[in-house]
Amino acid sequence: MAARRVPLVLLACGSFNPITNQHMRLFELARDHMHSTGQYQVVGGIVSPVSDSYGKQGLVLAKHRVAMAELALQSSNWVTVDEWESQQPDWTETVVTMRYHYRRILKEYERSVGMHNNSNLSPQLKLLCGADFLDTFKIPGLWRDDHVEELVGHFGLVCVSRGELQPERAVHESDLLSYRRHNIFHVREWVKNETSATEVRRALRRGLSVKYLLPDSVIEYIHQHNLYTEDSEMRNKSAVLRPLVKQAQEP
Amino acid sequence: MEGHSITKVVLLACGSFNPITNMHMRMFELARDHLEDTGQYKVVRGIISPVGDAYKKKGLIEACHRLEMTRLATESSDWVMVDSWESLQPEWVETAKVVRHHYEELLASEQNIDDVDTIKYAKKRRIEENHHKDRDELQLMLLCGADVLESFGIPNMWKQEDIAEIVGRHGLVCITRSNSDPHKFIHQSDLLWKYRKNIHIVREWVTNDISATHVRRSLRRGQSVRYLLADSVIHYIKEHGLYSSESEQKNADVVLAPLQRYTGASSS
Repeated sequence: MAARRVPLVLLACGSFNPITNQHMRLFELARDHMHSTGQYQVVGGIVSPVSDSYGKQGLVLAKHRVAMAELALQSSNWVTVDEWESQQPDWTETVVTMRYHYRRILKEYERSVGMHNNSNLSPQLKLLCGADFLDTFKIPGLWRDDHVEELVGHFGLVCVSRGELQPERAVHESDLLSYRRHNIFHVREWVKNETSATEVRRALRRGLSVKYLLPDSVIEYIHQHNLYTEDSEMRNKSAVLRPLVKQAQEP
Repeated sequence: MEGHSITKVVLLACGSFNPITNMHMRMFELARDHLEDTGQYKVVRGIISPVGDAYKKKGLIEACHRLEMTRLATESSDWVMVDSWESLQPEWVETAKVVRHHYEELLASEQNIDDVDTIKYAKKRRIEENHHKDRDELQLMLLCGADVLESFGIPNMWKQEDIAEIVGRHGLVCITRSNSDPHKFIHQSDLLWKYRKNIHIVREWVTNDISATHVRRSLRRGQSVRYLLADSVIHYIKEHGLYSSESEQKNADVVLAPLQRYTGASSS
């Protein structure tokens, strides 16, 4: 008899500026990987675009980024977009977003499955990210230590390596991450694919084709609303990323 | 006449397309952007010509499937289309012959070459008085990856006169993949160097290495290939149960058609 698997939901936070096929690949790769461990059953995926107050250079309005993600995910039967984070008045720490979604998932799960006291079957939520994400833990002021601990220790990461980046090295070089390495799942993307939202925006600014890098419906939306121009890339140019400001102010 | 004229270009891609991936489609987009950026060309059509079964490449599934998948993948494109001529030939056809065939079809075409959404098969009609004019104004270029360019150096893979015809009389648009130096390869070949003006190298700054080999491997292992190929193609593959360990063993002991043909000729 096969062992029962832990129901798992994958949450991806990010700019999604714009969402690309590569973002959606992350979910597919992560799902395959977590299934192959024999311990998990991936039951859902959530794309959570960051709010405008993040202050990243070139970030277009959240309403557009959410709309584009919706179009991109229309054909997916397991990944959805969630606007909660993008609608919060201020930038929301990743951990706070995770706590919100986890509460929601748990409630839904308890409602549908009834009272199950078997803790092994309790659903889990893990953060889905690219290998470059692990490197951001090193940036001073960007993350609170207790948040990293909760993120990696309590929730867990599913980290997809892209191109040449070595996520194992980032884990090795951080005591905190090393300590929690059993809760960081590494997924190798064998297909070298450096398509990034940055490159897509660059191509769009230059009037070059981005067909087959993102869904046609998203490309059409971008052209309809004239997103991603030289002007849009200059937005927030001199601004400081909101997390750096917010967390510096905290006692 | 004042001013420079813009040459109309049709891009032709030959290959297994086993199966066709987003990377194949990207090649057309990259090539078009590159050529039009020079200000000298206007790319009016793209043709995908899947190779015939007689090519005998390992893992090559039936042409009828590869054709249909390519047709599905090009549905969303308003300028790239699939052509079945090569795949319908009983024997393997040298690329130079495929190029020649398509070039002659284009020249003889009655329709305005800009009418991309209508006719796929040109009516043959001799336009002798316009022949020279058309040759300057319309060019057919072979679109390929750097691996094809480098295959020019593999013994018995290509006839020298065929390479000369393709790059000399027509043109080559070569999309570089990650680990290759096409300029060096051209430099080291007298033949290619002679026609270097007709060889357009397109740097793929953003590596997008979705190889069909990888896709087939993932399919065999039940792994997701979503977002690497068109959804309609994935659906077709699942519907017809294509790409298994069995299908990958096809032609495993057979010699590739070009090698068979040329080795035979050179030994006589």
